[in-house]
Amino acid sequence: MHKDGNAIAGMLMEIFEVEMTTERRTCQSCGQANEIGAHLLYAGAGYVLRCPNCGDMAAAIATVPDAPRITMFGSWSVEPPAR
Amino acid sequence: MEGAEVLERLNWRVVTIKESKSETPHAKTLVLDVPEWPGHKAGQHVDVRLTADDGYQAERSYSIASSPQAPDLELTVERLDDGEVSPYLTDEAREGDQFELRGPVGGYFVWEADSSRPLLLIAGGSGLVPLMSILRHHQETGSQADVRLLLSARTLEDVLYRAELEALRDKLAIRLTLTREAPPPEWNGFARRIDRAMLEAVGPGPESHPRVYVCGPTPFVEQAAELLVGIGYEPRTVHTERFGGA
Repeated sequence: MHKDGNAIAGMLMEIFEVEMTTERRTCQSCGQANEIGAHLLYAGAGYVLRCPNCGDMAAAIATVPDAPRITMFGSWSVEPPAR
Repeated sequence: MEGAEVLERLNWRVVTIKESKSETPHAKTLVLDVPEWPGHKAGQHVDVRLTADDGYQAERSYSIASSPQAPDLELTVERLDDGEVSPYLTDEAREGDQFELRGPVGGYFVWEADSSRPLLLIAGGSGLVPLMSILRHHQETGSQADVRLLLSARTLEDVLYRAELEALRDKLAIRLTLTREAPPPEWNGFARRIDRAMLEAVGPGPESHPRVYVCGPTPFVEQAAELLVGIGYEPRTVHTERFGGA
């Protein structure tokens, strides 16, 4: 059963080294911008993040041991950490 | 929140259980001693990692129950019968035992007391945990924001932090609905699953533009979010945290 992008905040921080759940992503299909934490999260062998508006794929994350790998879709807006 | 947060690199830390408190027959609060805890915001969670003797690791996320002001980090864990991590934390872990934890993480489901916007908290079962951190933060900072809490549970025995909620009940708008029995009269509660009329009775309505936080099992959160948007709450103001299967 799906959860929210917020649930993998730890894994996303492992990959990006910044808090990603408050960053925004614009969907390549419907054009709506939503925070990563508000995306829908589906867990299986890895994880799939989907747009909460249209359901199109936002990211696929493979959780191979010690090194999650992410494939991203759409336009992600990520700010560097404040200095 | 705006932009990226300043956060140190996310490392696993070994934490020690200071105390294990029974909340309900199925849930315990673990009071933890965390070396160099960087502090957290109300609504955040941590990842917990257990390692078996043979090296097998299991990782789960748990919401933080304590407020940012509290002296110790507290997690409330509900036992899932088929769980890999929760039965250990609720049944076996004792004072002095250690496990690995990283965090805090999850900036999306966060409330900060500098906002005076009304606040509507809707919890299904142990979905109360991060909302309790928010409610405690609200109380401990003397926030003037209008706060309402609607808690849905199966029975009174399943209600987390019951004594604390009963003490706050006369001061704050806290409403309880039970799905398998009637709440005692002093609760002025409901005895049914959440519905539109209940959410309208709890308020504050969409016209006062509250920030809304909904947490619980996925079907509960889906139902609540759909009802809220139907009533007219702006979808972007409705923050959801789904646990998965009920």
